[in-house]
Amino acid sequence: MLEKETGSPPPSAGTAVVGPAEATAPVAAHRQARGPRRGRARRRPLAERLAPYVLVAPAVLVIAGLRLYPLALGVNFSFTGDGDRNGQAVGWDNYAILFDDPLFTESMRNVGLLVLLLPVAVLIPGLLATFIYLRVPGHRVYRSVYFFPAVLSPVIIGAIFNLLLAFDGPANALLGAVGLGPVDWLGDPGVAIYAVVAVHVWATFGMALVVFLAGFATLDASLIDAARVDGASLPRVIRHVIVPGLSRTIQFVVVTTMIGMLTSMFGLIYVMTGGGPEGSTYLPEYYIWFQQGQMSRPALASAASTVLFCVMLAVGLLQLAILRRSGRED
Amino acid sequence: MKRRALWSTALIAPLALYGCGSAAGPESSEGGGDGTLVVWDWKSADATAESYIEEAKADFAEKHPDVEVEFVAQPFDQYYNLLGTAIQSGEGPDVMLFNGGGQLRDRADALLPLEDYLAEDMERLAGWEAFSADGHVYAAPVTLQGHPIYYNKALYEEAGLDPEAPAATWGDFLADCETITEATGAKCFAMGNKEGYGIQFFLSGLGSGVLTAQEYDDWIAGNRDWNSPGVKRIFELWVEADQAGLNNDGVNSTAMFNDEFAIFDAGEAAHVIGLMSDIGHWKEFGEFIGAENVGVMPAPLVNPEAAPNLPFDGGIGYGVAEWTGDPELAADLVRSLTSTAALEAFYADAGAIAADTTIDASTAGPATADIVAQIPTGRPALHVALSAETLELMGRLSQELLSGSVTVDDALDQLAESDQAG
Repeated sequence: MLEKETGSPPPSAGTAVVGPAEATAPVAAHRQARGPRRGRARRRPLAERLAPYVLVAPAVLVIAGLRLYPLALGVNFSFTGDGDRNGQAVGWDNYAILFDDPLFTESMRNVGLLVLLLPVAVLIPGLLATFIYLRVPGHRVYRSVYFFPAVLSPVIIGAIFNLLLAFDGPANALLGAVGLGPVDWLGDPGVAIYAVVAVHVWATFGMALVVFLAGFATLDASLIDAARVDGASLPRVIRHVIVPGLSRTIQFVVVTTMIGMLTSMFGLIYVMTGGGPEGSTYLPEYYIWFQQGQMSRPALASAASTVLFCVMLAVGLLQLAILRRSGRED
Repeated sequence: MKRRALWSTALIAPLALYGCGSAAGPESSEGGGDGTLVVWDWKSADATAESYIEEAKADFAEKHPDVEVEFVAQPFDQYYNLLGTAIQSGEGPDVMLFNGGGQLRDRADALLPLEDYLAEDMERLAGWEAFSADGHVYAAPVTLQGHPIYYNKALYEEAGLDPEAPAATWGDFLADCETITEATGAKCFAMGNKEGYGIQFFLSGLGSGVLTAQEYDDWIAGNRDWNSPGVKRIFELWVEADQAGLNNDGVNSTAMFNDEFAIFDAGEAAHVIGLMSDIGHWKEFGEFIGAENVGVMPAPLVNPEAAPNLPFDGGIGYGVAEWTGDPELAADLVRSLTSTAALEAFYADAGAIAADTTIDASTAGPATADIVAQIPTGRPALHVALSAETLELMGRLSQELLSGSVTVDDALDQLAESDQAG
């Protein structure tokens, strides 16, 4: 899809610029039908040349004016100072402060952790979708139950899990009942980030599950039947039939889950941990919000935004590369 | 191929930009010359502040009948973000509400010095220090905010202790706590440090029982010796109290607002270092454990040479933006917002200790009377003197102190460095 749009130049532009008289014949015929403008036939090529630019102009202006220009302003702003040095050029000072700040390095480490946890976040909906596809008892119920959390807002989910994971909450009561010591889910710096990511996965895997189910719909059932007739066990059916058949779906889920993890965990962090304990659950987004609003250091926040932008750009290009490769396999 | 990469970048760039959107303020109505003053706060939409705003508006309308005042209530959790954006662009409200201390001092550049306009109010109102920076006054106090140590008299009684004679020294205090825990199962302190606020209240609530008067004055004046024995003792107490089991479990995952106060409300802890106004204060506690059971005690003496006092500052106050069209007009509005009639209404409806010392507060229960009686001898709270950055670091380090990943000496070194840098 992407391949087609970007690979070949827009047809109208091509004919207008390159084409000799014969090539523009259909256009000319069209013009002729309008009558009054027939006499200005020699000017047509110029108008034709301009037309595509005029047509793209709104989109380009919107992107340039409302996206790229503010981006340039933001990057420029990140080279100015905060507080007493407001408005003065300070070179790379903000970036030096950033990478010297344990909170920011922690937030970047957490981004890395999210990437490492990505396979788990994809595996869970994948496995559950497989079970539903294989019609485990009660699969109809599970299909809707799994999707249910996806309709709740992060703030509500965060509040629910704040109660469940409180030190004297039900989760620890359950652990106590089976003889395990209490875990300070949101107060232990080694545990909190995993707790928040787990809640995020719980809250969002419904969407990935639906995508997986859609992928299963395209799977050739006769292949699985054939494998079963040949006596393949379930793990082997999954490994050799289902996973290869779903490769494009898996890639799509990987990309969307990654975007979700990097961009939409602010609400959960804000409600569940506030970046703590000991700054262990900071993510760049939260750091930017914190420096801009709570510490009133907008220029430093701009520098952090610029770094996050670069990270997102790299991740985005990587994702495009993956998508393109999957398109080629097709 | 090259062209394709270019296209990709063009496509991806706007997508990636979603990652770093900035907080844009709502359509901010600019105030100024055309007979309208715009006020930003987070209070005016509260039902409990309605009568206060009405009184202030009426007072101002009497002086300036032709000027319209528009109150814009912002959500508190976004307030300083929105204000930061307004300050950055150099346009926004004429008058704005501030918390005293760091939040105001960090933004003093954007505010108008008010001492000349407010000279008449200096005597009547208390709590100016929290709204002053570099010898100038930047806002007029509306409420006083402080950190009394509240205790549950019912628990004292249940444990066989005299509820009217709380411990005066730290040793006695520990003994009382042990008695209470044995008799009632209640913990000594309700403590929540999830946001890192617990240490701030601990420092200010107990600090005056540790530091000598001279050390206290030096701290407030900005000559802070983080490695002095007194300061070190406060942070050691923070660790010891938790290790000795004085606090409720899971301090680092308990939110001060409002889980910590809920523990005290439920009678599961005998003491809490609370607030004087708005929330976590005498009025709230009284609704749960009965106003007659809410006691206020001075900080127990850790150092015999210390002189305990009530730590308090100006809580919230109104300042004037430096870009306002008519400074005198805006300052007049601030005066109306801090008039006796308006503050009396605020005290009565919102349960806040108002900054006006002429208001009689003795009718609101023994705790209020105790607090008001201590105001004349009270001093600024220790943590309010610190910058927002140092406070943030202190919050993080206090969590590390409890989990044992940093020592008191290390923490104090880091705090000293941050304090000196700011």
